[in-house]
Amino acid sequence: MRKLILFAFVSLIFFSCEKDDPIVPHEEELITTMNLTLTPDSGEVVLFTFSDLDGDGGDDPSISTEALRANTVYSATLELLNATESPAEDITEEIREENEEHQFFFRSNAGLDLSVEYNDQDDSGNPLGVETNFSTGAPSSGQLIVTLRHEPNKSASGVSEGDISNAGGETDIEVTFDVVIE
Amino acid sequence: MKIKFLIVFCVWVCYGSAQDCNLILEGYVLDSDTKVPLEFSNIYIQSVNKGAVADGRGYFKIVELCPREEYQLKVSHVGCETKLISVPLASDTTITVFLNHQGELIDEVVVNALGEEATSASSSSVEQSEISENSNDNISDLLETISGVSILRNGSGVSKPVVHGLYGNRVGILNNGIPQAGQKWGNDHAPEIDAFVADKLSVVKGTSALEYGGSSLGSMVLVNVDRIGNTDGIDGELNYIFESNGLGNTGNLKLENSNKLLNWRLTSTFKIKGDNKAPDYFLTNTGKREGNLAFQAEKTIGEKWSNRWYYSFFNTEIGILRGSHIGNLTDLEIAIGRAEPFFTNSEFSYQIDAPSQKVQHHLWKWESKLFLKNDRVLALKYGGQINQRKEFDVRRSGRSDIPAMSMDLTSHFGEGKYSGILANSIDFNMGVQLNFLDNTNNPETGILPLIPDYRSFQTSGFMIFQKQVSDLFFEWGGRYDYKYMNVKAISRSVPREIQEYIHHFSNYSFSGGLQYDWFDKVRTNFNMGYMLRAPEINELYSFGLHQGVSGIEEGNPEMDQEKSFKITLNNDLKISEVFSLSLLGYYQRINGFIYLEPQNEYRLTIRGAFPLFEYTQADADIAGVDFSLKFIPEKSWRVDVKYSIVRGQNRDDELALINLPSDNIRSKVKYFFDDSENSNSFLSISGDYIFRQTRIEKSQDFLLPPDGYFLLGFSAGTTIPFLDNGLTAELRFENALNRRYRDYLNRQRYFADEPGINVSLRLNYKF
Repeated sequence: MRKLILFAFVSLIFFSCEKDDPIVPHEEELITTMNLTLTPDSGEVVLFTFSDLDGDGGDDPSISTEALRANTVYSATLELLNATESPAEDITEEIREENEEHQFFFRSNAGLDLSVEYNDQDDSGNPLGVETNFSTGAPSSGQLIVTLRHEPNKSASGVSEGDISNAGGETDIEVTFDVVIE
Repeated sequence: MKIKFLIVFCVWVCYGSAQDCNLILEGYVLDSDTKVPLEFSNIYIQSVNKGAVADGRGYFKIVELCPREEYQLKVSHVGCETKLISVPLASDTTITVFLNHQGELIDEVVVNALGEEATSASSSSVEQSEISENSNDNISDLLETISGVSILRNGSGVSKPVVHGLYGNRVGILNNGIPQAGQKWGNDHAPEIDAFVADKLSVVKGTSALEYGGSSLGSMVLVNVDRIGNTDGIDGELNYIFESNGLGNTGNLKLENSNKLLNWRLTSTFKIKGDNKAPDYFLTNTGKREGNLAFQAEKTIGEKWSNRWYYSFFNTEIGILRGSHIGNLTDLEIAIGRAEPFFTNSEFSYQIDAPSQKVQHHLWKWESKLFLKNDRVLALKYGGQINQRKEFDVRRSGRSDIPAMSMDLTSHFGEGKYSGILANSIDFNMGVQLNFLDNTNNPETGILPLIPDYRSFQTSGFMIFQKQVSDLFFEWGGRYDYKYMNVKAISRSVPREIQEYIHHFSNYSFSGGLQYDWFDKVRTNFNMGYMLRAPEINELYSFGLHQGVSGIEEGNPEMDQEKSFKITLNNDLKISEVFSLSLLGYYQRINGFIYLEPQNEYRLTIRGAFPLFEYTQADADIAGVDFSLKFIPEKSWRVDVKYSIVRGQNRDDELALINLPSDNIRSKVKYFFDDSENSNSFLSISGDYIFRQTRIEKSQDFLLPPDGYFLLGFSAGTTIPFLDNGLTAELRFENALNRRYRDYLNRQRYFADEPGINVSLRLNYKF
């Protein structure tokens, strides 16, 4: 028995008990920030922003919006960033490169008088949604949900008109903005 | 009790009469089939309280016996039923005993494993014939035939055993005597073992389980290989199995040879399978590939030193149903309502794309036994393992080829064990064990790991005693584990930093049991035990989005040990050769039961809000009954019925525990044709009914458990002479009615139906 116990302690020497420091992975796929820039024909540019610098979990993300003017057409551009890199990496380019496998959807709930139309196309002539036109109606308030689907079925009924219900695929982004039209 | 062994050969060597008490009874215990010496066979004479343990040659010797008309000798070996034989002793005597046995537990000096060798042996183990009939299945699926065992699945490719309501971290698997070191915490991580290498699968409960490691709350799954028999040249076996569902092809080759230099066996398996088909659609991306290799060698040096070496390589790629890959809660809700999963292809394919898993597992061991004086045995064992797991997700920009999770787990296990019989005929078995684990996340993923890098070091000691007093057998034992963990986690806040955590856990376990035989008809086992289990790495530190279940999971580094108390009562009733039944009841209280508790809280991410799940501790009760019945009305008929019930409740919130198997009844009728000696022709029909799990509340799951279902199966087999040997062919129909159903313990139930009808053809050729 004594020899066994000795053997046990001798084998301890072969292994250091401390684990080496892990290498922090390069989180190149992370999307931390979404900027939606709305430019009217005349007047102030409006910016909607979602930002979550530490990724899933941890601190809560910050979401900011500005008021839209009633009865105005804005041309809208989406920008996705990985701000953990320096300088921030533009993820929108990845989406543009794989435009047939992605589509943004814009849904506003009943109270909000807002309509969104696609203003760009993928390589097969279906909408992508990085560039859109926002048309506001009467003063109102409500929520706008911006969704990015990966590998949606763009030929399913209603999908190219912006109806998400038959799109399928996986959700890469789903951000809700509180919007006020003045 | 059925006499399982024969005394084929007895030699009485007489040298005149001796009246004083110094006679010697010696002999050999051999396997009747393979003629392999059965080391560790226990020979015991009750009336004079003397015994011996057979050594590496199967040799035993009992000295200082008085001449008598008859001695009652008890010869036992693990895996065989114990039987008394009578030997007259007038002079020094040599006998040879042949034990007939159906697969043996090779490694363990469990002299009398309580609850293990009971008449209902079929209820706690799976024998070789059944394993080879089903060896195209996953190893866990084979265990389902044991009453009290259910299977937790993720599609049909990933399955893991649930024993008496517990699974994952709480059920240990001993692969060839080495604790299997894989990422067993994951509900979608299957044990990395080739079903073809297993000659015997068994579930050990009670005191004997103390020998096998601290994480098991009373249950261990043992996967064992047979010893190599005496061969005439190179013996072998060739297996091929075709499955209609998934167009699966499985091939296996076994070669073995015994010679003066070395006894060896080589096993090699390949498997390729495409998309399964549910009754109404293909389950796209559910293919599977597997390629395994195992090498086993044995050598006895001199008479007192036996050595065994083993190496196995397990390599698999498993496709996960494409339609079960979801981005957020909205996706899950949409997927649940679908008649047919998203991404369902109308055509069959062997292709495996993301999501998928690739797992490689190496295991090597060296086991050495020294037979010392006074029938004492010293056994030393070393086992090393490397486990590499890569999981692939559907990702952007060609990153689907880069794993989203990639972990390397290395482990070293060492054991020294000392066993024998004490002067007062108490069997003892004691040992020390060391277990070293090192887990490293590969940064290639580009994603923060779900569980951190860590090293853990565990030192353990155990002692088990057993004693037989006429019809009463009892055993008791204790175990102590000291576990040290060094964890290096990456912070969740930016900038990312390395955080170090250190844990020390002291676990102790006690167990005791009784076994009593009533009128040779009833055997009662009673066992109780108290055990501590240290929290595992995922329970302490997992952090991140578990996309599969659409939740954010957070571990709790403050977690304390689980403390568990379990009572088991088993009655085996053998009314006659025709009819026997077994009834097992158990109750387990687990204080500080670790589970994932849904919080009334959502975490907002760029993919939307996810519900938060935290690892929490509560007190829980688990109780259940396993019933099995065997009816052999005449030689050619056999009926088996098994029925299992498990209930579990969280005492704090009074909700039922999740992932508990629902009540199930499994039955099989088999008819053996009596046409000729060697054809082994049979027909069988099986019917299984799985009840609905009714105790889960709506608040506990995204979807209520599915309805109960009935599955019908048929099989037929025969052996025909072929090239001087026998060719066995077997045809089998599973889910013969092509029934559409979903199972509560399959995580894929949110998305798709289970596979429909499967017709398989198995060919086996022994040479």
